[in-house]
Amino acid sequence: MEIELSKISLRPFKLEDADDFFLFAGDDQFTMNLRWKTLTSKQEALDHIKDVCIPHPWRRSICIDDRSIGFVSIFPFSGEEDKFKANFGIGVAVKYWGHGIATRAARMAVSQFFVDFPEVVRLEAFVDVENLGSQRVVEKAGFQKEGVLRKYAYVKGKLRDLVLYSFLSTDFHAAQAEAD
Amino acid sequence: MEDTSVVQLHQNKPEDECPNLSLRPLDVSDIDAFMVWATDAKVARFCTWEPYTNKEDGLSFIKNTVVPHPWLRAICVEDRPIGTISVTSNSGNDKCRGELGYVLASKYWGRGIATRAVGMVAETIFDEWPHLERLEALVDVENLGSQRVLEKAGFQREGVLRKYVVLKGRSRDMVMFSLLSTDHRPT
Repeated sequence: MEIELSKISLRPFKLEDADDFFLFAGDDQFTMNLRWKTLTSKQEALDHIKDVCIPHPWRRSICIDDRSIGFVSIFPFSGEEDKFKANFGIGVAVKYWGHGIATRAARMAVSQFFVDFPEVVRLEAFVDVENLGSQRVVEKAGFQKEGVLRKYAYVKGKLRDLVLYSFLSTDFHAAQAEAD
Repeated sequence: MEDTSVVQLHQNKPEDECPNLSLRPLDVSDIDAFMVWATDAKVARFCTWEPYTNKEDGLSFIKNTVVPHPWLRAICVEDRPIGTISVTSNSGNDKCRGELGYVLASKYWGRGIATRAVGMVAETIFDEWPHLERLEALVDVENLGSQRVLEKAGFQREGVLRKYVVLKGRSRDMVMFSLLSTDHRPT
């Protein structure tokens, strides 16, 4: 399968994405490293879009030809002290792995996010030490590896070592200045 | 024989110089001891708070933050408080993690006291909190003294987290340290 990366776009989720959403989020392999439970019905997909995706501060559907094949989520922390930080998460349908789609979507998302949320200084991504695919995605998208945080948190009931990555607004502006 | 002036270097003094180091709860009756370090700008430098200027604020802090704290102890020499050490707790998926913090009156810096206090906490906290797997600490990149305390206490340096906190209006890079319940701890 050849994928033209220029066909990748980001847009907000719509209720109409429920079937496509269920296709990828109904897969254990997709949700393995996420905190989400694997979806078991189209109704759950509809509910997830309505209750989580749509009200989310910044979640986008990753689309090929406007069909949803994944998500990218950036969640600013709440509270006066922490609103300069945000958490980055991404997932692409398993059948589309290995084409650079997540990397392209991550780059697009980061650029758009820093424009939409100018008060955010630090974007961080936590990736399981064993999830080499996602580590490559965030590294190629320009995140900087800061370290491995040992036994940092439980994900799906298992205590994990997580690699912490960051992308600063100053990294973004520096990259932009170079490009100009 | 030459007349030389010898510069006395400030070294860690042997442990028997401070034989009676202990940890105990801090309460309002300790207010005067508290004000000694709480009013000190050197102590406050890497803390989230500005030096205290009045006893009322000190009493409020003790009543509202210290007393209900999940785990906070006064670091005492001869049962007199000279600082505090604390561990925060988390819930849910983060309950494996606690964050260590400590503060010591500047007159007692450089004698290994903070290192010993950290060691005492490391010895007991994992037993008191069986759900705790990871004790972590975040130290300003410029706070070399505190980085040395944690290294000597057996913590592992995991990396520098860029612009991790905003402290007194400025973004700060912080060094992340951790000690696991399964790590060997120096006795």
